[in-house]
Formats: sequence, C-alpha cells, structure tokens
Amino acid sequence: MHHEVREEGGTVIVAFEGEIDLEHSPKAREVLLECVGRARPVLVDLSGVEYIDSSGVASLVEALQQAKGGGSSLALASVSPSAMRVLELARLDKVFTIIASVAEGLDGGA
Amino acid sequence: MGRWAGGSCRVLGGDRPKSMTREQPTTTGAPPGLAGKAEEFSGPFALLADMTRRFADSLELTPALVTALESIVSQVGAEAGSLWLVEPAAREIVCEASVGPSEIAGLRLSLDQGIVGRCVRENACQSVLDVSKDPAFAKSVDEGSGMVTRSLLCAPMSGADGAIGAIELVNRMEGDGCFTVSDLNVLEVLASSASLALANARMATAAAEHKRVQRELELAAEIQRALLPAVDSPGFPIHALNVPARTVSGDFFDFLELPGGRIAFCLGDVSGKGMNAALLMAKTASLFRCLSKTIDSPGRLLAVINDELADTASRGMFVTMAAGIYEPETGGLVLANAGHEPPLYHPREGGFEPIEALEPPLGIATGLLPPEGYPESRIELNGGNLFVFSDGLTEAFGQDGEQLGAAGLERIFEEFSEASIHDCVEGVMSRVSSLEHRDDLTLLGIEDSRASATRSSDSVELLLVHRFEAIAKELSGMRKALAEALAAAGADESIRTDIVMAVDEACQNVIRHAYSGKPPGDVELTLEQRNAEVTVWLRDFAPPVDPACLDQGRDLADVRPGGLGTRFMKELMDDVSFAEPPEGGGNLLRLVKRLS
Repeated sequence: MHHEVREEGGTVIVAFEGEIDLEHSPKAREVLLECVGRARPVLVDLSGVEYIDSSGVASLVEALQQAKGGGSSLALASVSPSAMRVLELARLDKVFTIIASVAEGLDGGA
Repeated sequence: MGRWAGGSCRVLGGDRPKSMTREQPTTTGAPPGLAGKAEEFSGPFALLADMTRRFADSLELTPALVTALESIVSQVGAEAGSLWLVEPAAREIVCEASVGPSEIAGLRLSLDQGIVGRCVRENACQSVLDVSKDPAFAKSVDEGSGMVTRSLLCAPMSGADGAIGAIELVNRMEGDGCFTVSDLNVLEVLASSASLALANARMATAAAEHKRVQRELELAAEIQRALLPAVDSPGFPIHALNVPARTVSGDFFDFLELPGGRIAFCLGDVSGKGMNAALLMAKTASLFRCLSKTIDSPGRLLAVINDELADTASRGMFVTMAAGIYEPETGGLVLANAGHEPPLYHPREGGFEPIEALEPPLGIATGLLPPEGYPESRIELNGGNLFVFSDGLTEAFGQDGEQLGAAGLERIFEEFSEASIHDCVEGVMSRVSSLEHRDDLTLLGIEDSRASATRSSDSVELLLVHRFEAIAKELSGMRKALAEALAAAGADESIRTDIVMAVDEACQNVIRHAYSGKPPGDVELTLEQRNAEVTVWLRDFAPPVDPACLDQGRDLADVRPGGLGTRFMKELMDDVSFAEPPEGGGNLLRLVKRLS
C-alpha cells in the first residue's frame, strides 16, 4: 500500500493505492488520523485501492468519527466497485459522503 | 445461622457500645476539616454510620446483622434483643440472631404468633409497655428461655413487598423500664438500614443464582447439540438441522447407519419448552439411539419408547415423533408416526403427499396399541424426497403475517427441489428461520441417493491446498492463490471477489483471535469443489475457539472489531460453520459458496 497527502484550497487530500488489508490498515489508520488532525475537510481518494477489508473499513470509520467530532468533515472519492461492495456490506454506504472524484469534491467546496 | 455464641453481651446503660469506637480509621476517615466533630459524633447517628459501613463492607450478612443487633441493644439499653426474618413459604418467622441472657436464635414462630408476628403482619412498629396485658404476647418464648419479659419494642424491616423481618428489644434496663418514643425512633432507623442491607444481599444472591442457571442452561444446550448426529459426510442421503427457539430445544432428530447399509432416522417434538422439555428430549433421543440398533421395525420401536415414557411420565408431558428406516439401495423406506406433524413426500415429478398419522403421541398411556405397535407406511421415494419436520416450521409467520401452514412450507420446499438434500435442508431452514417464529425449528430431509447419483457425479475435486504462517503479511499471497484457483474452476469475478474477501476475514480472525497472544502457527487452506458448490476448509493449530463466536456480528449495528469481519463472512458465503476439530487439535472452519 502507498499513500500520498497533499493540500489544495484548504482541503486535505489523501490518496491510497494498493491493498488496505490487515497488514496495511494500521498504517492507513495512522495516516487518516493525522489528516483529520489538521482540522480541515478531508477527501480520501480511493481510486487506486484494489482491495479493502473490514480492518480498512474500521480505520475509515474511526477517521470519520474523529472528523465529525472535531467539527470537520471526511468524504470518500473515486470508490472502486470492490471497495463500494465492502461499504455496502458494512451498511456504511449511507454513513460516508461518497463523491465521484477528487475534482468534484474540490469544486463543491468540500 | 447462630454464628453468634449468644448470652455474653453485657448491657450497661449509657456505655458507649464497642462497635462505636473507631476501629478502622483508614476506612472511616472523615474529611480533614471535620475530624474533630466526627469524634464527637455519637449516639444513634454514630451507630447508624457504623452499621451502614459494616453492611457495606461485609461479604457475609449474618455476622454484620449480629453486630448490628448487639449495638442496638447496647445503644437503647435493653436487656435483650432479637432479629427475626420472615420465611414466606412456611408463613413463619425465624430468629436469625439474639443478644441477651439466653440464646433464642433458630426459634420459629408462626406469623400469627407474638408481638413480633404482629409487627411483621402489620409492617408497623409495636411498643408494648406491659406484655402481661397484651394477649398477643407469645409466652412460649419466655418459657423456653427462662427470661421474664416486661416491656417490648419491635420495628419491622421492610422490603418492597412488605416486612421481610423485624428487630425486637426486650426490657429497658434504665429509668422506669419503659421504652421511650426516642428509643422507638432509633430502633426504626436502624431497622431500615438493616433491611436495606438485607435486601441488597438477597438481590446479589439472586443475581449470582441467575448467572449460574444461565451457565447451566448453556451447558445443557451444549450437551443437547452433542446428542444430535455429527455433520454428515458429503453425499449422505439424509440431512437434518435444528434451530432452538431458546437456549435449549424440545425438538430433536437422529439418524444412524444400521447393518446392511440401512439408516434409522427419527424426528421428535417434546410438548412444552425449556428445561423439562429438554430433559425429556434427551431421554427420548437416547432411547431411540439405543433401541433402534436392535428393533428393526419403526412401529414397534415407537411402541417400546411409548411404554417406557408412559411408565415414567411426568406432569402430562408427551412427545410427538416420526421414526423410520431407509434403504438407500432401493430408495424405499418404512415410516411410523406417533402423533407427529405429517411428513411430506415430494415426488420427483412435483406435488406433495402428506403421510398422515392417526395414532397418539408417545408417553400418554400404555395399552392403547396392538401388539405390533404403531402402524407403518411403506414409501418408495422413486427419485423424490421425504421431509420430516416439527410444527415450528408450519407455524412460522410468512411475509403476509399469516402462519405458513403446510402449503406455505411446500412452496419453500419447491424452490429448492433441484438442490441436493443437504442444500435443500440448509436453504429451507435458512429461509424459515429468518421468518418470525416462536417454536424450535427442526427439519430432516431424505433423498433417493440413486437419483442424486444420476443427477450429478457428486465427486469432490480438490482445487487448492495453501499453507501459510498466520501473520498479516501472508494474506496478500493467500488472496492471490485463492483467486487464481477459483478462476481456474470457472468462478466468475464477483463470486471470486466475495469468496476471497470472506476467507480473508476468516484468516484475520485466526491471526487476531485464535493465535492472539501466542506465537503464530500455520493456517492451512483447502479449496474443494462439489458440483456447483465450492467449500473452503480453513484449519488452524490454535487452542479451540468457542463456536459461538460466529454468532456475533449478526446484528447490523455491530461494527465492533471482529464483529464486522464475521458479518462479512456470513453475508458473502452461503454457509459458515465450525466443523469437528481435526486430529491433533486446532479449529476447522468451513465456508461454502454456491457458484450459480
């Protein structure tokens, strides 16, 4: 798994690539919490994520809760069909704000 | 009872009771600014504070009550005192502790007797200045103890449902020998404190008892599950399932192979629910297992079980039961039915024929049957199936809020009529158990194995064996190997994704829970295909895990770590269950997915 964090127009964009599984979810969690800690809106770009499991989903949930708790927001962008399947299984597809792409998220002033 | 030796409490009016001295300054330390005042704090308040502390500290209530009684007697300056508890079932009051010149602990009075009885009955304080003028006074107590009672003061200990006991003081030693209003107030306050402590202790005991009963129920359920036959081997012509409505079940089934390849089977339903039904179930199931090895007629077998149950019947309980012997070689079976829900024969061409039973259930009376026992029906399966089930299935509620009835159940059977008997029983039970139901659900299905042999090869093909160390880093490689083997077997992409994800979650549970806190051992993954169904066997070498861990995660709100993964597994696969642990220990998890 790789990741890249950048800021654009006051929004933190974190892009993951590869597999967010039991091996990598601790790192993903750490990165996500760091981003949320910046107290700005966070966009998680999942376009490069080929696989995500329950531990990866748990990291996303934790980051979302932290963001909401701090009065900020966290949205998911470019969710692949397989990642979408996992979110649906976890009944979390309605919990997360899911947008088509990072560009759309920035236009909308996320 | 009677821990206190009695008779030794010296009562000196005005003396500060021993229990009022600060014996444990560490636990009673007053706030710094109040230290001086706390020392001066005396009389009834100090006594109350001291008693409350003792009750809170005490693990055993009786010694604390005895100490409390000693303190009260001393505080008020009475000659003697006694503490009484109500035994509602016997309508009696029992002296739990006594202080004074004679020991009366253990003495019993009827609730109608004595001043103390009146105190409890009326749940009100009693003050009697001269007992000789009160006809209610129980002289028998004085006669037994040799004491002379002149005046009495008695306060109830009250619980939620009236008095649970009383504290009685006898003969004031000071002044004119009559108890005062202030004595009564002190006694009343102290009795309240004692009754609170008593109520708390009883509640704690009841909670512990409840926990113990729950644990025993779980053990009973475990034993019951062990009574049911172990998982049948692939291709076996009989498959059955039981889903209890409560912890323990009143339903049961069994099947066992007899010499010559025949199979004896039964399914029964014990009247009532709960523990007594479960015990009768265990008895009936044991009788069946034992007798079916020697009695080769189901009708006579049921008659023998009937006589045995009727001889030892209790409280009008009875058992409905269908029993039979199946010959896989010919596809023929003999069935006898003791008052059970009619089994359904489902011919290959379609439709259903109920096998009606007109005979009474087991365990009601002996001598009702002809010598040859219950009548038998002979059924040729001719490529069809036979379903035996408990009325829990027909009484489940359909989407329309109406009970399924035989017709509703038949519609569900029809949906699975092309499946193997294993898949059919699993599928029907999964459907019915998802409906609202109040009773135990049990279903046993028999297929004509000659027909299933022509329907498919039924052979099991080994697709993959992959062994790896139970660490997170190995999961990626496992997923790749599994996905490739599934692709080679012709599984389409969405099914591949689902299976890989479910197996990944199962492996995570092994890594995080089964081997938790231990050096990781190996996991061995075996992938098999049987017709249009793949099975993943996941074997680890960790200490056995509780199979009930699969029960968590059913709740949609459950996103606890581990719970989410378990839910994924269950939603992604058609069946997830623990199998009999393999030789050499460890756990064996079975994950099944239909490819179509």
